[in-house]
Amino acid sequence: MSLVDELNALDSRVADQIAGACSTHELEAVRVEVLGKSGELTRHLRAMGSIPKEERAEVGKLVNQIKASVEEALDAKFRLLKNQEMEVLIDSSSIDITLPGRAQHLGTRHLINGIVDEISDIFLGLGYSVMEGPEVETDYYNFEALNAPADHPSRSMQDTFYVKDLSGDVANVRGESDVLLRTQTSGVQVHAMETQELPIYVIAPGKVYRRDVADPSHLPQFHQIEGLVVDKGITFGDLKGTLEFFCKQVFGEQRRTRFRAHYFPFTEPSAEVDVSCGICHGEGCRMCKGTGWLEILGCGMVDPNVLEMSNIDPEVYSGFAFGMGVERIACLKYDVPDLRMLLEGDMRFLRQF
Amino acid sequence: MLISLKWLDEYVDVPEDVSAFCDRLDLTGTGVEGVEKTGDVFERIVTAKVLEKTPHPDSDHMWVCQVDVGDCSLDDAGNPAPIQVVCGAQNFNEGDHIVTALVGATLPGDIHIKKSKLRGVMSCGMNCSERELGLSQDHGGIMILPEGTPTGMPFADYIHTTDTILDLEITPNRPDCLSVVGMAREVGAMYLADVRYPLEADAAKLEGYLNDREVSDDVTVHITDESRCNRYAARVIDDVKIGPSPAWLAERVVASGARSINNVVDATNYIMFLYGQPLHAFDAKSLTGPEGKMEVIVRPAHQGEEFTTLDGVERVLTEDMTVIATPERAVALAGVMGGLDSEVEDDTTCILLETATFDRSHTSRTSRNLGLISEASMRYERGVDDVPIEEISEAAAALIAEVAGGTVRKGVVDVYPHATEPYDLTFRIERFQRFVGADIPEVFIEDVLARLGCVVTSAGDGALAVITPTFRPDLEREIDLYEEVLRLWGMDRVESTLPASPKRVGMRTHEQTIIRKLHEVLTGSGISETMTYSFVEPTDLSRLRFDEEVLDANVELLNPLNSDQSVMRQSILPGLLKSLAYNLSHSVKNVQLYEIGTVFSTSQGRKKPKEKKKLAGVLAGSMAENSWNATYPPFDFFDGKGVFENIAWELALPKVHFKPASAESYPFLQPGRGAEMYSGGSLLGFVGELHPAIVADFDLIAPVVVFELDVANLVKSARPARDYRDVPIYPPVEIDQAFVVDEEITNERMMQVIASAGGNLLDDVVLFDVYRDDERVGANKKSMAYKLTYRVADRTLTNEEVDRAHAKLLKKVQGATGAEVRG
Repeated sequence: MSLVDELNALDSRVADQIAGACSTHELEAVRVEVLGKSGELTRHLRAMGSIPKEERAEVGKLVNQIKASVEEALDAKFRLLKNQEMEVLIDSSSIDITLPGRAQHLGTRHLINGIVDEISDIFLGLGYSVMEGPEVETDYYNFEALNAPADHPSRSMQDTFYVKDLSGDVANVRGESDVLLRTQTSGVQVHAMETQELPIYVIAPGKVYRRDVADPSHLPQFHQIEGLVVDKGITFGDLKGTLEFFCKQVFGEQRRTRFRAHYFPFTEPSAEVDVSCGICHGEGCRMCKGTGWLEILGCGMVDPNVLEMSNIDPEVYSGFAFGMGVERIACLKYDVPDLRMLLEGDMRFLRQF
Repeated sequence: MLISLKWLDEYVDVPEDVSAFCDRLDLTGTGVEGVEKTGDVFERIVTAKVLEKTPHPDSDHMWVCQVDVGDCSLDDAGNPAPIQVVCGAQNFNEGDHIVTALVGATLPGDIHIKKSKLRGVMSCGMNCSERELGLSQDHGGIMILPEGTPTGMPFADYIHTTDTILDLEITPNRPDCLSVVGMAREVGAMYLADVRYPLEADAAKLEGYLNDREVSDDVTVHITDESRCNRYAARVIDDVKIGPSPAWLAERVVASGARSINNVVDATNYIMFLYGQPLHAFDAKSLTGPEGKMEVIVRPAHQGEEFTTLDGVERVLTEDMTVIATPERAVALAGVMGGLDSEVEDDTTCILLETATFDRSHTSRTSRNLGLISEASMRYERGVDDVPIEEISEAAAALIAEVAGGTVRKGVVDVYPHATEPYDLTFRIERFQRFVGADIPEVFIEDVLARLGCVVTSAGDGALAVITPTFRPDLEREIDLYEEVLRLWGMDRVESTLPASPKRVGMRTHEQTIIRKLHEVLTGSGISETMTYSFVEPTDLSRLRFDEEVLDANVELLNPLNSDQSVMRQSILPGLLKSLAYNLSHSVKNVQLYEIGTVFSTSQGRKKPKEKKKLAGVLAGSMAENSWNATYPPFDFFDGKGVFENIAWELALPKVHFKPASAESYPFLQPGRGAEMYSGGSLLGFVGELHPAIVADFDLIAPVVVFELDVANLVKSARPARDYRDVPIYPPVEIDQAFVVDEEITNERMMQVIASAGGNLLDDVVLFDVYRDDERVGANKKSMAYKLTYRVADRTLTNEEVDRAHAKLLKKVQGATGAEVRG
């Protein structure tokens, strides 16, 4: 067989081998056999020198042609097999995507503080600052500076925890003291007026204490958010507008509010604010005890006595104040069956919020 | 306060629609807490007639009666059929008209009437006495109705008690509303309706009951401290006969929430409920001295004076309390309650009637100091008007004479040191309209203030001159009038606006921003926020093995709810450990909790305690249950420390380092497994595993990781941002290098030595393995493997440079730590 025939035979044999290769692995073996260091075609290329001169051009041309076509065939087949193999791999890698993922375990905020933050954000947006005050107060900040001096009947509205006064001062009524656990966040109003420059736009969230035995609907410690605005030209309409905006933000656009006249020593006029019941939409149901309304907060225009006690001229400035119970809002939003769950630390409860 | 709408309707027209009326009350400031129809009380109680009365076969005092109850009992054909009732009363005969409670009725005192056998005889109802019906104290026999009374009529209809009783929440500023007449005035102002005031006519009745004696002949009144008693009026009623009240009087008193006691006491209560003026009726003989004179003294109690109030409780008085006394002894606790020895009894024939006002503050303190709140004290501490006392006293004396017989001595002993003056106020109309933000018309303002009892005239210049009534102690300033007009105009009618201030900005303080970041880091670290009680047991800290001697003093409550909650917490940890125990006892094993809250401590001489904000946490079990593709090892010290490292990273805390926690400072931590965290020189807090003894004491399962941080120190140390470092451009050369060192050599030491030995070329060092093996590493030794990254910012390092630097590093580390280098 002539060299040319031999080469042509090689070409057709390799073409068959390439066509017959079933994997990239087999194809690589074919490539090595033909084009590797000691491959058949490589050998022919190396042997070019020993070929008679007159044949050399023809053979050389043929060898190069074969090499080019083999390389091209290998390349095409390689891409084909690679694709096939990828398809097979994809098919065999299918998973049950309903199996649980691998997540970073996240903690949760406490329901009450979550609501406090939510409400704080609403008022920050309205241009208020957030302020805090001490939980143990003197009588002055909790009552007197709020226009409820000693023996004022409004004091009996709240049952107070008294703290042992180690300064040596003695109280007028046995078992009472000048130092107490604040029964309301309203004292922060006084601190605000004493320390802040006018105008004042603050809210003051915080823990308060009243002497109620813990039961499903009472806790001896709970949370309030107090609000105070003192500025020139503040009207009762401003108070209404502010609290209506707040209620819609917290409870939803479709909820209505109503203002009921009430009494607080440190505001005049005073009101309680109800929001329409979200369950019955005002028709009356068990949630709202048939009234169609849910009591949400207390509010009023800051009493001029309170302004004067903090050296603010009530003829120039006016203001409003409001206070709400956070637990109350939590119950309305989540229907918590027993307030004591808020203080038990049960992971199964906490992780729901 | 309970108020009968039937009674109220006598003085002002009460709207038919009770629910709309209640809404209007609510919106104008009188909260309605309950609505009760009193006819309901007499449900299934009917008028009846005794048809037949035969002796009980098995009893010598009971009767078996056939009772006609009209249509209330029908036979099969639908005709009225008498019922059989066994009855123990003796005061009735066949043919008498009576009141019978049918099966299914409930009598006052929660007595349910059922079909039952009495000594073997079936009884299908009960014939009722006045006391059983709650009408009076009369239990002499069953109630006998007049001849000709129809049978089978609902008893409520018969005595016209179908009434609606409202339970009103009267706010402390409105003493005037603690009366029917006061509420009539309020309703008149609510609806701009006219009120029919009864006092003048009631007082005029006295004329018909006067006798010939002069009260001042035998009675004197002396007030020793006029600041405690503004007015004291005494009258005497002779020849009264104590007995049950007439039904109309008992009905009024019961509807107002009191018990019917006897005609005289009921009359004084009636006047109090009607006019808001507490009265006291003394048995005159208990006040009468040896010469037949009654000397009434209003004086401070003696310190330690003993006195028995008419509820039978012996009380020890203080000088702050006021008593009504004879020269010999106290007979009443002024403004609060009468004395047991001077109360009206069945044999009382002569009455001294007190109509007085007592100081608000003294009454309030007395009431609180004795834990004794009465209808009288409740009114006195809110303020009782002294001006109408004479007329009310006349009306009361006349009423007593009317219902208890007797006659009234002429005149009154009326000691009246100083009359309360009305306030003269100015109401600036335009200012008011601006303040509210609504154009409430002047004509409305004038009308409503007048209906509330003010005298209103024009003061010119857009202002009104307003004289406020003395029964409204809350109306002393212009602003108080604004409130009256606004609430009665209707708050809902005011247009809503937002403040138009150009000068406000809302922002968080630095501390608030840091605390919010802390919440984010902790929840991001898998820990859930909780809250625990601020009050704890006094022994909580000794349970944490603290020596009480070295601690600050606890903040003690004077009136704790119970001894388990009698001091304010000095640490959040005990509360968290209790929450952990709660979870474990409810089969929740994996617990990750934190709380940011206030702790309290104090010392002798301090008024207010110190308050500090702390962040505390507890980790027990593991982060989660192992799942099909993830495992969660049990928590240990390093989980807590990891949380601290996250906090340090997020707050960009500078120069953070950890020191071993000493057993003296942290007796509740397991020695050797706790650390303090510092930023520079500032101690931020601790983290560690709980001491096994405490784990056992709190019924926990070890290990329990606890940590606490001082929020103020964190806030001080926190920086606004971390320093920026250029992102590397050139490739690193990384070398894994193990060192075998003695156990005593800490990672911190190794890191310091490596960092300083690596020079400028060493870019980063990370510990990736700690390995111990007695044979391969050696006893008391450990192998610590670090990944060292060599890199500089301005060029690619050559192999030679790195090799030189690394060789130098190995030599220095060996020299400094005695480390043996392993490949």
